[in-house]
Amino acid sequence: MIEARNLYFRYEGEFVLKNINLEVKEGSFTAIIGHNGSGKSTLAKHLNALLLPTKGIVLVDGIDTRKDEASARKKVGFVFQNFEDQLVYSTVAEDVSFGPENLEMGAVQIAKTVNRTLTKLGITSLAERNVNALSYGQKQMVALAGVLAMNPKYIVFDEPATMLDIKNRRNIMNIINELNKKHGVAVILVTNSFDDLNYADNIVALKDGCIVFSGNSKKLTKTILKRAGLND
Amino acid sequence: MIRSLAFGQYIHKDSVVHKLDPRIKLCYLLLTSILIFFITSPYKAALFSLFVASSAALAKIEFQIIIKNLRPFFFIFTFIMSMYAIFSPEQFALGLIAIWRFFVLVVLSLIFTFTTTISSITASIENLLRPLKIFGIHSRNAAVMTAVTLRFIPVMFLSLEKLREAMLARLANLRKTKNIRLMMLAMLEKMFKSAHNLSCAMQARLYNEDAESSKTFSLSKSDYISIFVILVVISIVYY
Repeated sequence: MIEARNLYFRYEGEFVLKNINLEVKEGSFTAIIGHNGSGKSTLAKHLNALLLPTKGIVLVDGIDTRKDEASARKKVGFVFQNFEDQLVYSTVAEDVSFGPENLEMGAVQIAKTVNRTLTKLGITSLAERNVNALSYGQKQMVALAGVLAMNPKYIVFDEPATMLDIKNRRNIMNIINELNKKHGVAVILVTNSFDDLNYADNIVALKDGCIVFSGNSKKLTKTILKRAGLND
Repeated sequence: MIRSLAFGQYIHKDSVVHKLDPRIKLCYLLLTSILIFFITSPYKAALFSLFVASSAALAKIEFQIIIKNLRPFFFIFTFIMSMYAIFSPEQFALGLIAIWRFFVLVVLSLIFTFTTTISSITASIENLLRPLKIFGIHSRNAAVMTAVTLRFIPVMFLSLEKLREAMLARLANLRKTKNIRLMMLAMLEKMFKSAHNLSCAMQARLYNEDAESSKTFSLSKSDYISIFVILVVISIVYY
């Protein structure tokens, strides 16, 4: 389980996260919504120890992110909003191998992992392609493959469909849903789209760095959305 | 025009040069880059150019692609030539040799980057610098830094193209220094942001400076033949 307890985060003298209390259970699907600048991405980065709390604590399966960032990151993968900037190497297969290399897997195991991951996402045909020559949708799949190859227990998706067309958006959301329902990976989805909320078991709404709602979609009313600055 | 540039990009083809050991290719690049500074006679320059052209042909790189990638450097070539013509016309031949060296350096780098994937470059730098570990130098840092730089060269050109189009759409005159400065500043800002995003992504994927590349190398028959060829070229050019 990922837990954030009394989490505060200060950036340039201002608190951008205030008193956040959050629980993400194993195998669950959590959606984090909020207006631009509400602190969604900042909160998401705390779950993968990319940012560390100014006050409070974030625990990943009992590991304090301030004490052991690497162990927390092994468990929590992160797919960024700017997936183009997420790719390190030139070809798809090589880029997917970057994470397993860092985990110090052997060459044979890396090759197997890369192959299995590409097959899982149905992109084996892209293996030798140059990442710069891919479409947005394909780049997003490669970014996801790079994270999946590290076999994380939880994956944070920071607005994964923002730059995609409707078809690719539907495709990536179906894959995320399948990862959660079929493979038991806990998903934390940062989103701006109300449609994505249908996939989630738990919704967290943020406003100005504070949680204004936490619960399932049935309890999410128009009044709450209005309070979160998401509905007129 | 910028969109069609492939500088720094790997192009997958089934060629002898593609199959050569990347460590050997990297050493060739360094060796030949030094070697061209020993070439002063037009005869040797022609001979070496023939070697470079044959390497490009063996790598199955189209002539048009080389020209396209050289186009941005034509301004520099013209500038060097004009400087020689204006300030020391008696040394014009030296100017030609200087441009030839520049031209060959670019083509050699193109052949290397077109035929070697970034991870192979990374792995070969890592492999070649491994002895430095006894001095506490992590070879993977240097290798990944090179890889990332190469990966971002085409991204930088694309960003520049997008900015140029955006400015043209708002009727900017790109001959004005002020607008060029604005475009370059915007691009730099974008590149710094991308670099920040990439460093976050690498952190998220547990970047480990002690890890070793998954690539393993072994010399093949064609590598040994290439060593022989390069030794012949060096001895002809040097002596």
